[in-house]
Amino acid sequence: MKSLDVTKSALSNTLRSKLRTALTVIAIVIGAFTLTLTSGLGAGINQTVDRIFGGFGEDDAIYVVPQVEADAQEQDGPAEYDPDAGAEMDSGFGTGMLSASDVETIEGLDYVVGVDTEVAAQIEYVEAPDGTQYQAQFDFALNDVLAEFAAGGAPDRTAMEITIPEDWLEIYGADDPDDVLGETLIVAAPNAVGQTSDIEAEVVGVTQGTLAGVGFTPIPSVALAEEVADINAEGFEGQMPEAYIMAAAEIENLEQNEEAVKEALAEEGLWGLTVEDQIAMFEAVIDAITWILSGFALIALLAASFGIVNTLLMSVQERTREIGLMKALGMSRAKVFSLFSMEAVMIGIMGSVVGVGLGLATGFITDGFLTAEDGPLGGFAELSVFGVDPLAIGGIFLLIIIIAFLAGTLPAARAAKKDPIEALRYE
Amino acid sequence: MSTPVLETENLVKVYGRGPAQFHALKGLTFEIHRGESVAIVGKSGSGKSTLMHLLALLDEPTSGVVALDGRPVSKLKPKTVSALRNETFGFVFQQFFLNPNQTVLENVTLPLKIGGVSKSERDKRGMDALEQLEMADKAKNKATDLSGGQKQRVCIARALINNPEVLFADEPTGNLDSATSETVEDILLNLQRNHGITLVVVTHDEDLASKCQRRLIMQDGEIVEEQTGVRASSSHKAPVTAGHGAPESRRRRRILPFGKGAAR
Repeated sequence: MKSLDVTKSALSNTLRSKLRTALTVIAIVIGAFTLTLTSGLGAGINQTVDRIFGGFGEDDAIYVVPQVEADAQEQDGPAEYDPDAGAEMDSGFGTGMLSASDVETIEGLDYVVGVDTEVAAQIEYVEAPDGTQYQAQFDFALNDVLAEFAAGGAPDRTAMEITIPEDWLEIYGADDPDDVLGETLIVAAPNAVGQTSDIEAEVVGVTQGTLAGVGFTPIPSVALAEEVADINAEGFEGQMPEAYIMAAAEIENLEQNEEAVKEALAEEGLWGLTVEDQIAMFEAVIDAITWILSGFALIALLAASFGIVNTLLMSVQERTREIGLMKALGMSRAKVFSLFSMEAVMIGIMGSVVGVGLGLATGFITDGFLTAEDGPLGGFAELSVFGVDPLAIGGIFLLIIIIAFLAGTLPAARAAKKDPIEALRYE
Repeated sequence: MSTPVLETENLVKVYGRGPAQFHALKGLTFEIHRGESVAIVGKSGSGKSTLMHLLALLDEPTSGVVALDGRPVSKLKPKTVSALRNETFGFVFQQFFLNPNQTVLENVTLPLKIGGVSKSERDKRGMDALEQLEMADKAKNKATDLSGGQKQRVCIARALINNPEVLFADEPTGNLDSATSETVEDILLNLQRNHGITLVVVTHDEDLASKCQRRLIMQDGEIVEEQTGVRASSSHKAPVTAGHGAPESRRRRRILPFGKGAAR
């Protein structure tokens, strides 16, 4: 029997008892549908991340934060007070801040050509040109590289510039983001005794919120943030310890020296991350969630595979005569086996085509609804919660066909084993 | 004498083990010659079906040898035996065993499909075979729409489609009324007489058995009597005695095509 004839016969055999096949196929469809949705969710979010951060390949900075001590959680009871140790605590260790000496250390490392620091900048309010005051908080100045811009660009780190989120356009009465570029925003910074000073900042960009949480609040330039921090420190009694939230170390030839700098940082108790590392961490979380969800879909598929076993065993039982006849007329065991496993594969193909098709349709419709301008997730820039990963879709097809084939082996082996004489006996 | 197409030597088939053992065949040695018609006759339980299964290579003997064209087959691989059955034998069953979901043509061409013949070639040869049995107009019908006699003719067409050397018929008239039986008997014997096919019939129908050239009467797993010569006069005038000795029937001839209505 030719392979084409085996395939055709298998297809027509599965269509023989339509209801039974349909019910078995539905079980596969549910598995395929769920797998398509979960993998599409992961693909969509990761594609969004890639799209947003794709443009920052030239960024040659390593972002440095203090390393979280692993044993910090494991100490027994409160540590005893040590006055000498306290004197050294100029950085507020444990609060996750870098000290001035840390920054010096970073500057002293090989390959580091420059360090920008992120200071904690407290603001009281911001004021629009018309005098209206708004409650506000700054985003990190060093997050400027992660922002997604609707208009304009990142603030010059040395100038008094700022970006505003897209939904702030209304304070200038503007609809088009381009209209607010060049406008002025007055930033009111409080000092230690509660008096505020105004700083004028030029709006140079309009940001859209991203999944990394960047761009939902105004991003100041580094200089502006430092200016605000200086005002914050005014009137402080005694020595105000210098503390930085993070530092951006500009690295010479990042690709080659990345590992060396990171190791040097680790020795100093510091933790260095490139933008790519941050993306990778984010994507790892998304992938983990995707895998967990896909695990449930796999369980559904496993259950469905028993449906195939059941259906085909019934079919083999019913078609004992036919199998016996085919064997008597010279069909080999191997061909009988392949005929029945091909029927299982056919069920798998039908289920996966319908399931993946439904999954894709549902995914795109849901994505369109959720991320529409006024949808529940419309506020995120360029977000799509569903994407097609051709490799994943191909993988789903292959996986289901393999599962179906494996499920078909037991009934197919039964069919192949049938004795033609027994099968053709009439009683 | 012509070459024996099938030979057996001390053929034994035992079912079961120990005290429940049942000796279905107790050492049979005989030959079936090319172009001959042989009836294996006996009551149920005499071992005639078992014998046919062994001759048709559907089963393996407990001991003894079955040889096809002088070649012992017991040592062959199952796959080779399957191919041999597909190419060399035709089967007609009492219960027809037609697939009700398929058309008459699809049923008839099943052996060719199994043999790996292309669809166009299958359909062409299938139509020839159906024409020969005057069933061509039913080719597109479902197999269930046919009368008993028509079904058996479809079965015969299926058995003939691969130009077999040996046609095995297991109670071919067991499910037919007497008039239809006669037609089917005539078709089968005509194939043997005029086309050189070796016919092996298993039956307890006296009438059918008497039309065969040789009868092996079986009882309790043994051949108790062997009769030769056609006893009752057939409705055909063609001389049938010793027909297998004729030189032209020695070599295997193509059965198809031959004249329409010849199988009446």
